[in-house]
Amino acid sequence: MVQYNFKKITVVPTGKDFIDIILSRTQRRTPTQVHKGYAISRLRQFYMRKVKFTQQNFHDKLSTIIEEFPRLDDIHPFYGDLLHVLYNKDHYKLALGQINTARNLIGKIAKDYVKLLKYGDSLYRCKSLKVAALGRMCTVIKRVSPSLAYLEQIRQHMARLPSIDPNTRTILICGYPNVGKSSFINKITRADVDVQPYAFTTKSLFVGHTDYKYLRYQVIDTPGILDRPFEDRNIIEMCSITALAHLRAAVLFFLDISGSCGYSIAQQAALFHSIKSLFMNKPLIIVCNKTDLQPLEGISEDDKKLVMEMKAEAMKTVIGQGGEATDDDSVLLTMSTLTEDGVIAVKNAACERLLNQRVELKMKSKKLNDCLNRFHVAMPKPRDQKDRPPCIPQAVLEAKAKKAEETAEKEKRKLERDLENENGGAGVYSASLKKHYILADDEWKEDVMPEILDGHNVYDFIDPDILMRLEELEREEGALQGLEADDDFEMDGAELTPEEQAALAEIRKKKSLLIQQHRIKKSTAESRPTVPRKFDKDKQFTAERMGRQLSSLGLDPSMAIDRARSRSRGRKRERSPDRGGNDGLDSMEVDGDQQNKKLRVRSRSASRSRSKSRPPGEVVPGEGLKDTAQKKKAIKMAKRSSKKRNKDARRGEADRVIPTLKPKHLFSGKRSTGKTDRQKFPLLWIHIQQPVASHVWGSCIRYAVQLQQPAIVENLFVC
Amino acid sequence: MPQGDYIELHRKRHGYRHDHFERKRKKEAREVHKRSQIAQKALGIKGKMFAKKRYAEKALMKKTLAMHEESSTRRKVDDDVHEGALPAYLLDRDETTRAKVLSNTIKQKRKEKAGKWEVPLPKVRPVAEDEMFRVLRSGKRKTKQWKRMITKATFVGPSFTRKPPKYERFIRPSGLRFTKAHVTHPELKCTFNLEIIGVKKNPNGPMYTSLGVITKGTIIEVNVSELGLVTPAGKVVWGKYAQVTNNPENDGCINAVLLV
Repeated sequence: MVQYNFKKITVVPTGKDFIDIILSRTQRRTPTQVHKGYAISRLRQFYMRKVKFTQQNFHDKLSTIIEEFPRLDDIHPFYGDLLHVLYNKDHYKLALGQINTARNLIGKIAKDYVKLLKYGDSLYRCKSLKVAALGRMCTVIKRVSPSLAYLEQIRQHMARLPSIDPNTRTILICGYPNVGKSSFINKITRADVDVQPYAFTTKSLFVGHTDYKYLRYQVIDTPGILDRPFEDRNIIEMCSITALAHLRAAVLFFLDISGSCGYSIAQQAALFHSIKSLFMNKPLIIVCNKTDLQPLEGISEDDKKLVMEMKAEAMKTVIGQGGEATDDDSVLLTMSTLTEDGVIAVKNAACERLLNQRVELKMKSKKLNDCLNRFHVAMPKPRDQKDRPPCIPQAVLEAKAKKAEETAEKEKRKLERDLENENGGAGVYSASLKKHYILADDEWKEDVMPEILDGHNVYDFIDPDILMRLEELEREEGALQGLEADDDFEMDGAELTPEEQAALAEIRKKKSLLIQQHRIKKSTAESRPTVPRKFDKDKQFTAERMGRQLSSLGLDPSMAIDRARSRSRGRKRERSPDRGGNDGLDSMEVDGDQQNKKLRVRSRSASRSRSKSRPPGEVVPGEGLKDTAQKKKAIKMAKRSSKKRNKDARRGEADRVIPTLKPKHLFSGKRSTGKTDRQKFPLLWIHIQQPVASHVWGSCIRYAVQLQQPAIVENLFVC
Repeated sequence: MPQGDYIELHRKRHGYRHDHFERKRKKEAREVHKRSQIAQKALGIKGKMFAKKRYAEKALMKKTLAMHEESSTRRKVDDDVHEGALPAYLLDRDETTRAKVLSNTIKQKRKEKAGKWEVPLPKVRPVAEDEMFRVLRSGKRKTKQWKRMITKATFVGPSFTRKPPKYERFIRPSGLRFTKAHVTHPELKCTFNLEIIGVKKNPNGPMYTSLGVITKGTIIEVNVSELGLVTPAGKVVWGKYAQVTNNPENDGCINAVLLV
């Protein structure tokens, strides 16, 4: 089933834009560089490609336009007619035809010029042919640009058409302008149609959807139709006529019996009779609207006769559809959209009639026979004649009854809002808020309340216990304030106990000491050389000190000291055996001594009057190198690794250098035989008849070198 | 308003934003700066296209401004001397003018005899032979070089049949044969697509005329029956001469100007 979605049509560009798009596409997507010196076939191919590419693009884009626009003969006749009414079929077809012609013309141009390009024998000629070809294609498009503009406008309008499905259940609303069609559709669907007092507010078809018996119905609102001969109708009216003619829908003919739309019932009846041919085979309901202004019984006799005539016509359609003897209500209905009285009834009647008609038609059609044998409605067989009504417990029934009572009461109860409406509305009526006061004596409700009595403030005496309550409150507040005061209470010396005072003094002393020490120590790296802990002469941070501190705290230090000792084991074992056997503390001392020894050694060497420099290869004991050769190699490797790589590919010492390009000895002097230009490029041609061993080559080259003619060696061609 | 016009519907119901018009005005005022920025920053082909478009716009703007600026002033008009008006002291002397007329006719007759016509393009660039002909090698070993292929546009006529391939020296490829020309009438300034009847004269030489080669400056005869021209005597003119104004081999078409 074709989806009537005209929103999917691609945008049609204007003539100028079209040309720009295609030409810039050609410029981007084909190779752009070509030189005079290329082979002629390559030049020709280059330009032929451009011509063909442009033609292909034009062809593609024009084809999409032609294909995407709907063909008025291929779509549902409703849409075909609607588009004809709106856009004029001939004009539309002409525009598309012109686009088609343009496409063919461009194809022909491309073909001709590609043929001509085969004879192009110079770059200039091929290029001019290509320019001529593209220019002609663009001229074709320029000529067709009004059609393109027209199609673009149509496309924009078509995309905004309401999506009406011509095959589904539809209810059509028609009648004179201003009778209340749009109000009705606003009431039963969610379509937000403009309702205004002037005629022809609705200028096109509007769609809304509504539900009935779990099925979705389309409701189509049409612009008002005037009673005119068919030829004189304008586009807006033709839209409604088209809808009436082509859609299989239930028709609701609206009648304004109050005459407030500006047309009398006679005129409306005349319209009805003129278009009744369109109501063939459609369930028709005549709806009398605006009954709040004028009830149906109150109209004049002539009008009533007219209405009855219309009803008779409508009955005919009912009978024609299967002869059901429906009652009057299904054909002539009254309602008022303002008071919403009878709106739902109309909708239900229309939906019911339509549904019945469609079901009947489907039953009669042949397609249903295929499905019918698949349906089976199973009804349970009654096993005896006993009547088994539904069982509702008594309590539930009582609760339901009570609820019903309450709702009835609520409805009967008069609301404040009703009171307001009665007494003049929102601005006029002011509700008396004192109405619901609960007082000892009801007569006091309207009394004016004083504020000062006997010099006292009335509000101070509203409660008999007010004084007591005030006292409690004050006490609470005081307590809260006291708590807050406690928080930011500063420590005075007098508040502390003597032990606390002593502790405080200790803490302060220690803190100041630490600060002083830190200030002494605090020097930046620039000002003082940092001495690592190894050379900590003060020997402050020994394990012994740690042990003392821990024991002063009351902890057992042995475990910690062991751990510390194990960490610091970096010394060779042989150094400590003569001191072995001491307890942990002393061995730390040993370490400290060791350190001291090393320091002493250092200072001894530093105290010499003259510093001794070493030769580069001398092995310093303790460096870890075997001998001089190894050290030299190590130095070399270090230097090589730190050499900077020649990432810029600059000339290095390994690159060949010709010190003199024209050495004088080669370019001077007379020659007995041979031309002088041979001197400039001294060549040595060696013709060999048999393969020659490599050592012969080597001797050759060596001989050349001996002649001191490196130029010969360089220009040695082997062939 | 159709159901789908949401923008208009919203505007109708709720009106515009409170700052809508101000924003719109400011945006439009900013367009000037934006455009100048684009003009300065666009590079390459885009820049060139924009510059061209902008130049055309500016030229048009200048013209309209000039048009608005010109005011209707009153200027002194110099009466031109009427052609052929004589001063008073020469009133009864008019033999000399008659003599002039006579000599003109004589000149025209002489020109006709000589065959020199006044044409729109009196001088054209001469086309060299190697530009006109391309050598085709033939023979079993492709050593014979007596055949020539014409590289320019040609006209052969409807009853043309080739000579037997063994004997034809000049080859006129069918891709380069034209039958129609775009002929412009110099006074009416409109162009018609007319059939060529024949090649009258090629300025590069009589050989080319006989071969039917059409280059720039060639005089061709075209079928003007669709123009509906009539001689003073009442006969319908159906053939007229036209001169070719472009290089047909470069443009793929023959553009000519009618010689009236």
